[in-house]
Amino acid sequence: MNIGKSLILLVVAAVLTYPLVPQSSDYIIHVMTLAMVYMILAMGLNIVPGFCGLLDLGYVGFYGIGAYTAGLLTIHYGLSFWVIVPLAALNGALWGALLGAPTLRLTGDYFAIVTFGFSELVVLFLTNEIWLTRGPLGLPGIQPITLNLTWLNDAWYFEFYDKTPNFYVVALLVGLVFFIMRRMEDSRLGRAWYAIREDPLAAASCGVNILNYKVIAFAISAAIGAVGGAFYARWSMFLSPDMFKFWESFLVLCMVVLGGLGNIKGALLGAVILVSLGEVLREVLSSLGLPPESRFMAYGLIMVLIMRFKPAGFFPAIASSGRSNPLLIDLQKRLAARNVPKEETRDAAT
Amino acid sequence: MTPLLEVNGISKRFGGILALTDVSFNVIEGEILGLIGPNGAGKTTMFNCIAGVYKPTSGDLVFTLGGKSQRINGRKPEKMTELGIARTFQNIRLFSALTVLDNVRIARHCRTTSNFFRSVLRTRFQRAEEKEIVDASMRWLDFVGLGHHALANASSLSYGDQRRLEIARALATEPKLLLLDEPAAGMNPKETRMLVDLIHAILDAGVTVMLIEHDMKLVMTICKRLVVLDHGTLIAEGGPKEVRENPQVIEAYLGRGAAHA
Amino acid sequence: MLEQQLINGLTLGLIYALIAVGYTMVYGVIQLINFAHGEIYMLGAFFCVTFITAAGLPFYAAIFMAILCCILCGILLDIIAYRPLRKAPRLAALITAIGMSIFLQNVALMIWGSRSRPFPQTALPPFFREKALVLGDVSLTWLQLFIFAVAIIMMIGLYLTINKTRIGTAMRALAQNKTAASLMGINVNYVISFTFALGSAMGAVAGILVSVYYNTLYPTMGYTAGVKAFAAAVLGGIGSVPGAMVGGVVLGVAETLGAGYVSSLYRDGVAYAVMIAVIIFRPSGILGKSVIDKA
Repeated sequence: MNIGKSLILLVVAAVLTYPLVPQSSDYIIHVMTLAMVYMILAMGLNIVPGFCGLLDLGYVGFYGIGAYTAGLLTIHYGLSFWVIVPLAALNGALWGALLGAPTLRLTGDYFAIVTFGFSELVVLFLTNEIWLTRGPLGLPGIQPITLNLTWLNDAWYFEFYDKTPNFYVVALLVGLVFFIMRRMEDSRLGRAWYAIREDPLAAASCGVNILNYKVIAFAISAAIGAVGGAFYARWSMFLSPDMFKFWESFLVLCMVVLGGLGNIKGALLGAVILVSLGEVLREVLSSLGLPPESRFMAYGLIMVLIMRFKPAGFFPAIASSGRSNPLLIDLQKRLAARNVPKEETRDAAT
Repeated sequence: MTPLLEVNGISKRFGGILALTDVSFNVIEGEILGLIGPNGAGKTTMFNCIAGVYKPTSGDLVFTLGGKSQRINGRKPEKMTELGIARTFQNIRLFSALTVLDNVRIARHCRTTSNFFRSVLRTRFQRAEEKEIVDASMRWLDFVGLGHHALANASSLSYGDQRRLEIARALATEPKLLLLDEPAAGMNPKETRMLVDLIHAILDAGVTVMLIEHDMKLVMTICKRLVVLDHGTLIAEGGPKEVRENPQVIEAYLGRGAAHA
Repeated sequence: MLEQQLINGLTLGLIYALIAVGYTMVYGVIQLINFAHGEIYMLGAFFCVTFITAAGLPFYAAIFMAILCCILCGILLDIIAYRPLRKAPRLAALITAIGMSIFLQNVALMIWGSRSRPFPQTALPPFFREKALVLGDVSLTWLQLFIFAVAIIMMIGLYLTINKTRIGTAMRALAQNKTAASLMGINVNYVISFTFALGSAMGAVAGILVSVYYNTLYPTMGYTAGVKAFAAAVLGGIGSVPGAMVGGVVLGVAETLGAGYVSSLYRDGVAYAVMIAVIIFRPSGILGKSVIDKA
């Protein structure tokens, strides 16, 4: 294990133990929780533009679908969070597939605009279907996440009103999504997506059914967005249609771009950086007497500059498709044993 | 004996232009068939029809596998690949941001089945399949002589090596029929000689080869049979000697080609 | 009632058409959805009002100056943001376009504030609000007539520019094949700049007309109008200028009728739904070419 890796593990461990420190600030825990919600979204969105090379401008639509699914199921049926997460994911995937199947045949530009229209329709629906969503008034009184372990011990029934348990729930979800992303990236599925991104015609000639794999990507991406929404609903305990406007899609896209399209760890860093920047800018802008929305000027500029000067994002592609997979490590050894000049294999490994 | 592929009166129209007019010929199993003709004769269009990129306007393509014949025109490229028709491209189309190995691993797609759940859970089946994919890919990379470059970036390969990688990628789909679109274009004489050996090795591996090529010397030495297109119509078919002596071909093609040779 | 709705829809539709041609022309020459076009439209309105209130210019002079400023913005937008990415993957250019759109919108927000403001009524010719025509229940104001006239004159001007001038021929050549056009001695960058200038001028006029018609302007106005105009361009067949005109009018009428007879809450939804439906069922639009991703 090298120094860089140990350092990352150390930072992750420090962040994870922070809420247990008695002097920990609620505000920082809150910001970290928010950053982790965006980590889920950024990882999920990354599948579509990052792995498949398609611009998705309506990601917030799936986030909203997940959030309202969770909120309504909680209020009307009192379902447990642990049941709701898979249901929200399924609902997200369903809408992703319904939207993707007819529109992913089209060129990327059309797809981008369709996703945008879709997310605007979601907001309009949430605003206007008052019988279901209470419209602009929002959906208050969503129960917090509960953990029912009474089957183990009668006293073990927990309600997560506090910031700390929520922090750990979302950390768990981030870990889960990260795990799934890494496994997908280094698999037949991930390779098919990369092929589509690099050259659709060559991908088809390799036997990849392009439309199918794009729809799968879009549905999985939507499902992850919906999981993020489901947590958000139970964490904030209040939802309103305003939370799911285009700005959010843009922000998540900006995180993905900043971290490098197709780079999973980059998306995590992008989320941390932009959430922190957002907090800082909110302070700075209000002290300058500017409206808080104007922070998006910075985000817009970041995106333009990155596309111009560092299209691969700020962080080098840390892993190109599962270098740490035992199969590849084994192959590398075998190649080295063939007496190939050392430089060549080392070049390849970096 | 039924031919591997029967091209039966294929026509392809783009708007007002007929790129192919009623072209018929057969591809016989185990042969190297050359498809030649001057620029714009419709050779690549023919390839694209066979590979499923274009749907022929009329006519039939009949593919025979294990004694079973089926009409295949209009199928999608991925279906053609699944069926056993692989191809390379005139302008190299590699997945250039990926490694050499990944380029070939992607080609194993149609011969493997692991889905989302198996990939995420990394089941025993999936791990075995992944190992099989790496082994098969390495086998084909070694076959074309690129094994030691497996972990390099595809874009870092030399031009000739990129062409060979494309061939390895096509072979990894386990085709019965391999379509090579100008495989020797841009190669130096040494690389071309290696290509000739490679094509013979492919034939020995039980794959039928059909190739488009402008290098007449190459075509005349390796192809037992040639099909000549001009302005979208078939003007001659037969052995190299016959074709070379066919007055129509000389007029359309070799008359000009001979000056270069 | 229906006739009145049709007239209102037509007014709106002509304005959409003016914006839509900007999208469609740029798409035609560089195959890019210029998301920031909606911001040029917004800037047109703000420049005009600023010239009236801050510089004290009369209405028509302010319009002229606003158009010049927008043309400049459009050209600069292309040179600074898009030109360096001509050879980059399309995804990069699209993301840049989105980034520029958000950036410009927020620059406007910082300069002019987020509140919506009225159009300075005193600067307008007083007869604008008077009725020009009354036929039974249906009425047409001078303002609506003015919008019709301006939009139609600009469309005819655009049509003549594209079809009858040297630069228009160059634009059409570029839309067909950029490489061939540059080999024929066409200065590609000059023609692209000209296209942006033309589109921006039309967008600026549309922005001014809308802010006068609805008597309001705000920094985010380009965002919905931009998407609706894009929907109009798609409806007519992207890349086709007559298509954008037809699409704009159809969409404007559909939206007004939808708001009047279906549900006013889903006013914007009509545009999005029409757009998605067109993209799914007839992606080539009314007058366009096929866009199915063959590769």
